[in-house]
Amino acid sequence: MTDPPLPSGDQPLLRPHVFDGIQEYDQRLPNWWLMTFYIAIAWFVLYWTLYYQGGFFTSDSDRVTAQLQAIHQAKTKELEKLLSTLDNDVLWAWSEDPNIRREGQAIYSRICAACHAPDLSAKLAGAPLPGLPLNDEDWKYGSQPLDIFHMVSKGSPDKTAPVQMPPWESVLSPAEIAKVSAFVLSHHVHRPPPPAQP
Amino acid sequence: MNAAPHQITIEFDDRTVRRFLIASVIWGFVGMLVGLIAATQLSFWQANGLKWIEALTFGSVKIPADGISFLSFGRLRPLHTNAVIFAFVGNMIFAGIYYSTQRLCKTRTASDLLSAIHFWGWQLIIVAAAITLPLGFTRGKEYAELIWPINLAVALIWVVFGANFFWTLKRRHEPNLYVALWFYIATIITVAMLYIVNHLSIPTSFTHSYPLFGGVQDALVQWWYGHNAVAFFLTTPILGIMYYFLPKAAGRPVYSYRLSIIHFWSLVFIYIWAGPHHLLNTSLPRWLQMLGMLFSLMLWAPSWGGMLNGLLTLRGAWDKLRTDPVIKFYVAAITFYGMATFEGPLLSIRAVNALSHYTDWTIAHVHAGTLGWNGFMAAGMFYWLVPRLWNTKLHSVALANMHFWIGLTGILLYVASLWASGITQGLMLNALNPDGTLPKYEFIETLERIKPLMLARTFGGSLYLLGYLLMMFNLWRTIRSGTPSPETRLVTVDAASPHDRMSWRELFTNEPVLYFSLGLLLCLLWFFLPNYANLGALVGGFIVIIKGVTAFQSHPHRWAVWHDKLLQNYLPFTVLAFIAVALGGLIQIIPTTLANRAESIHGRLQSLYTPLELAGRDLYVSEGCYNCHSQQIRMLVPDVLRYGRPGIPDDYSHLGESLYDHPYQWGSKRTGPDLAREGSKRDALWHLLHMKDPRSTSPGSNMPAYPWLFDRSTDIDSLPARIAAQRRIGVPWPALTSDAIKDQARSQAIAISQVLHTQGRSIPPDREVVALIAYLTKLGAYQEVGLPSPPPPSPLRQPSLQPDLPDTHRPTLGANP
Repeated sequence: MTDPPLPSGDQPLLRPHVFDGIQEYDQRLPNWWLMTFYIAIAWFVLYWTLYYQGGFFTSDSDRVTAQLQAIHQAKTKELEKLLSTLDNDVLWAWSEDPNIRREGQAIYSRICAACHAPDLSAKLAGAPLPGLPLNDEDWKYGSQPLDIFHMVSKGSPDKTAPVQMPPWESVLSPAEIAKVSAFVLSHHVHRPPPPAQP
Repeated sequence: MNAAPHQITIEFDDRTVRRFLIASVIWGFVGMLVGLIAATQLSFWQANGLKWIEALTFGSVKIPADGISFLSFGRLRPLHTNAVIFAFVGNMIFAGIYYSTQRLCKTRTASDLLSAIHFWGWQLIIVAAAITLPLGFTRGKEYAELIWPINLAVALIWVVFGANFFWTLKRRHEPNLYVALWFYIATIITVAMLYIVNHLSIPTSFTHSYPLFGGVQDALVQWWYGHNAVAFFLTTPILGIMYYFLPKAAGRPVYSYRLSIIHFWSLVFIYIWAGPHHLLNTSLPRWLQMLGMLFSLMLWAPSWGGMLNGLLTLRGAWDKLRTDPVIKFYVAAITFYGMATFEGPLLSIRAVNALSHYTDWTIAHVHAGTLGWNGFMAAGMFYWLVPRLWNTKLHSVALANMHFWIGLTGILLYVASLWASGITQGLMLNALNPDGTLPKYEFIETLERIKPLMLARTFGGSLYLLGYLLMMFNLWRTIRSGTPSPETRLVTVDAASPHDRMSWRELFTNEPVLYFSLGLLLCLLWFFLPNYANLGALVGGFIVIIKGVTAFQSHPHRWAVWHDKLLQNYLPFTVLAFIAVALGGLIQIIPTTLANRAESIHGRLQSLYTPLELAGRDLYVSEGCYNCHSQQIRMLVPDVLRYGRPGIPDDYSHLGESLYDHPYQWGSKRTGPDLAREGSKRDALWHLLHMKDPRSTSPGSNMPAYPWLFDRSTDIDSLPARIAAQRRIGVPWPALTSDAIKDQARSQAIAISQVLHTQGRSIPPDREVVALIAYLTKLGAYQEVGLPSPPPPSPLRQPSLQPDLPDTHRPTLGANP
């Protein structure tokens, strides 16, 4: 069999065969196109080798766990810092501060109102919502300001109870939790008198 | 037999083509209309039923129900995807294949009977799908939702199609296979392989089954199928159609035959490997993620090879772009193909995917492909074919041009708004507060932000559908003006033609195949051999490649002659193509099914469901919750912070946590938040209120209400059969009698109902919502299981035969108790 002619230079070669009227040129492959192909293949080899041979990369689970541990430590530090200045009296005082109350209310309406109702009654149009009422005398998990702070932060202490409040520390920062607690305290039935002015 | 060449007259079977074409046009309208409704539901939850009538009539008409089961998004979205893929594009490619194959083979389709069975069988399947999907009968895997009896019908009809096609090839009077036929061949064999493997299931009743694979295996098989459904159902047949109809319409030769060869073989070989790019940053083993990403990058050039061969064919015919709507549609379609196949590799880069995955960016990408590439190729083909099939002229060129411009505006608006939506939502979901300890935005806030973009998307989609309606009108008027007339042609029959005589030896013992096989073998050794031995394999691979290139350069004609000869032998060609497409799947899936499961659970083993929880899970699947909710916390800080539990640094989803999930429900889109840890987050009462009225517990939510779950009774009676099926596929259910299963389910339901009663809500225990609550409050439960040591970063650890765990946790598939 004779060698089929190959294209040379810029002369497009028309193949002899015709399929239902369709003909085919036999142009050279565009160089830039070939280069993208070669580079992608070379990148495969390089990346795979670096990853499995080079030891430059940590595994995904190690990386993300380390990052999250750092975040966890930062959060714990932040919480400790806040708690070192925060006690029941401070939170009572915050509950009197209109600015803090306003900020707390904004968080409350965004996050808490769905279960505790906008008016803290845990009732919407007479029907009970999942949350407990926050405007009555009954405080199931403690009525002191820091009890409320920890309740918001960690959620229901009884993890086997059929109805539970979720922990909000993964959504709110410690300062935000303190503010929303102050807002709840501003509706506390047994509000102690504000601390005596020095 | 007649040895001398002689001429015969053949009559093409164009009736089948006309049938498929009309079916495609009609189903396309249905599929897109359902898509438009589903898109509207994302903006207006009221559209999940008839509640919107209240708004439109300013409250004068009262609609009692908040939602209607068969109109809810979770059931309509599968209907939309299945309709446009299998009904619209399916019928369109059948029309194109039946038309072009007869002409390229110079013979009539082998069997009119098989063609008729194929056509009517396929339409019956579509009708069955359109009935079962809204009723909630589903397998719960994307684009593979149809229930098992319909699966069997699809497989059967596909075999009928394949038999008819290959029989036609066998009877061809044209020795050489044109490039369009290569793509058809690859389509038929690959779709059969993908479809069968991904639909392996154990039936539990006539309408329900569990997939054979579970957890990560199911995820891997699903995306091997899902990604390659795009490749071999929405791409390769359309490329084949492009190779036939574009040069016909343009009257120009195809740009480059050698480009056809290179991009065909590289496309079909590489495409198959890219499936895992749908599972990036998840708990899928890293080596599979690497293969998915790197093969996707390598896929860019082969895809663009097709685009180049299409666009450059038009060199010298660009003037037709002004006058001929067919060329307009083709050029736009091929351009969208180029854009989508550039975007695909981009989205497969793990860092980009961390932003784009689970957002509307993916949806934008798919629709650039389907509306742009498939939809416009279909339109071009219809406008070209209908006048020829009905022997007349197109009713109105102006109307076709108008369709083009309206449709193009529609797609651009659609795609651009979803890009913006996806990037916006991705950035917001990944944003952390200033000190980097908490997610910055709540999920609802991101939904709020993309609302205008969702509306723009629906508007873009409406424009596209409007253009489509113009086409339907135009085609209808064209058909009315003509009459279907058979096309006959004089062809030469040469019994002495040397085609279809290649021996198996000739097929495999030649330079191209040998060099390629050896190179590939060494590459595989490079993947899997232990450290340093693998480097040896890599070096060996290099040497083989260099030798191969040298051999090719010293006598290129020998390689060309061999390939030309291969193209005269349809069966050897098919065998080689099958080997090329089968390899990727084999290498990715088999190690994962063989690998020691106990070792690959990463320290956490899923807690078994109770019977009632299983019933609830089946409801979750049947309502299509996976269309909007993922169950996979990726190994990314924002994901773990948002969806993990506070204080647990490694609270991403571990492989073992979904080990017993048949089907897996990792999801692919987060229209709502991830649910992997839902069980530890909210209680029964919250879920009860949320299912009744999602906006009562989550103001601003766009989730549909599920009132029917409060009326219907849970199907407890079928649980024993379901649990028996699960035991058969390896879920270690304890041995329970039927009565014990039903009793357990009932008593758990009563317990939930009692708790709700103490909360002031009465719900009878037999209601579906109780079972669903049982499942939702269980989601994410697992036991800690000690691992001897963290696995080293190696592509594949040697699967040991002795599991580390006592086998009560998990009997292996083979060892049947």
